[in-house]
Amino acid sequence: MPANQPLWLRVVLKVERTVGEPIEAAVHSDAYFDLVSTTTRVRRKVGGAAEGVSRRCLHLLNLPAGSDIRRLRQQLARMERRLNELSHEVAELDESEPRSGVR
Amino acid sequence: MNPLIPSTLNPGDLLQRLNRDVERSVLRARNGIRYVRGTHRPPLGATPKDVVWKSGKAELWRYKGGDRRYSPPVVIVHSLVSRSYILDLRPGNSLVEYMTNAGLDVFMLDWGVPDELDADNDLERYVDWYLPRALAAARRVSGHDEVTLAGYCLGGVLAALYAAGREDAHVRNLILMATPMDYTEMGAMVALIREGRLNPDEMLDETGNVAADAMYSGFYMLAPTTEVAQKATLLENLWNDEFLEGFQAMATWSRDHVPFPGAAFRQLVELLVRQNILMTGSIPLGDRQVELVNAQGNVLNAMAERDNVVPPPAVEPVMTLVGDPARREELRLPGGHVTFGTGRSALKHTMPKLTGWIIDHSDTS
Repeated sequence: MPANQPLWLRVVLKVERTVGEPIEAAVHSDAYFDLVSTTTRVRRKVGGAAEGVSRRCLHLLNLPAGSDIRRLRQQLARMERRLNELSHEVAELDESEPRSGVR
Repeated sequence: MNPLIPSTLNPGDLLQRLNRDVERSVLRARNGIRYVRGTHRPPLGATPKDVVWKSGKAELWRYKGGDRRYSPPVVIVHSLVSRSYILDLRPGNSLVEYMTNAGLDVFMLDWGVPDELDADNDLERYVDWYLPRALAAARRVSGHDEVTLAGYCLGGVLAALYAAGREDAHVRNLILMATPMDYTEMGAMVALIREGRLNPDEMLDETGNVAADAMYSGFYMLAPTTEVAQKATLLENLWNDEFLEGFQAMATWSRDHVPFPGAAFRQLVELLVRQNILMTGSIPLGDRQVELVNAQGNVLNAMAERDNVVPPPAVEPVMTLVGDPARREELRLPGGHVTFGTGRSALKHTMPKLTGWIIDHSDTS
């Protein structure tokens, strides 16, 4: 800690470390990571269940749900990616670049 | 003179100090308003550059600058979890600018911001698809057959796999900066994805990637109260334009994470973290087994002694695993994970030492 720091700053930094160290120890503990894992799983399950209900309701009205849109976007992304790959392959064939070389 | 009266009570000194404090208060008020309004933000990644290759989100930049006196060119492979401008944070405090001014021909392979299109990007995609093409472009543009390949953080893993896994790598020098090898030493950074905790798929969002927010939370939880100390230090130094600029630049970068591509994340969890496979010196990649000892070139293992993201014990095994044992060197630097790109310690130690090592292992053009 530099000696030319004003007293108030030295106090803040000291308090931050005094409080911060036990907090860091707590959030780096196994118990904390187990808790976060469980919380994340529960949140996903609850979210999934709620999404299932809303999806069924929307499908009853013949409307697309968020999950339908998501799936569509993923399929579109895969298709776009495949198209990009094909474009690259064509471009590389044109340029006749060496493409192998793996050990 | 009364010895009980301190010399600081000299009226001249007092007046001078009063003047200084008033001036600083005015500057604090001005800079405080600028900080709160978010104006006068410093330019980030400002070293002039050209995009010399592009594929999907990935871009290869070639930096402009002083005369390029050394070859082969230096190609920096950035990590998959953060933004590459940390290595070119701001003028006068940038690894890229330092190297460019020293006469090196510097390229940066930036991965961009992944979205749904990149969710299937796995390690093979990066090592066997992007890297060979980007490096071919670097060789073509620079007119040299070889490269100095410098990987930062996870970019170092990609660079090592590339240098070890391809006969056509043409790597003269391989620089691994804060590159994790032993994931049992990674501590809190990977604790949540160890066996028995979260599976990789449970961390993916609707785009199929790990959200940038989740990446930020991981880094934030390493030291959750540090922000208080940082803000207090800022308040004390708010009068100082340069300090404020540096603070804003770092604060912007530290919150500016990118999503982690889902397929690569699954491999990171299963192979690198849970099996700790890099410590065996061998990793399956595509339909082959890559032996790290086959990595081409002189290997420099650079680590920061106070790095709490990739601590030195996680990095040290490079010296026993990667490349020809007779061509391995280690560089220990003061500072933390970002000392490779910015900060006073970087200017004093990291930049001169890294640049010096590269020049020592390069030819004069």
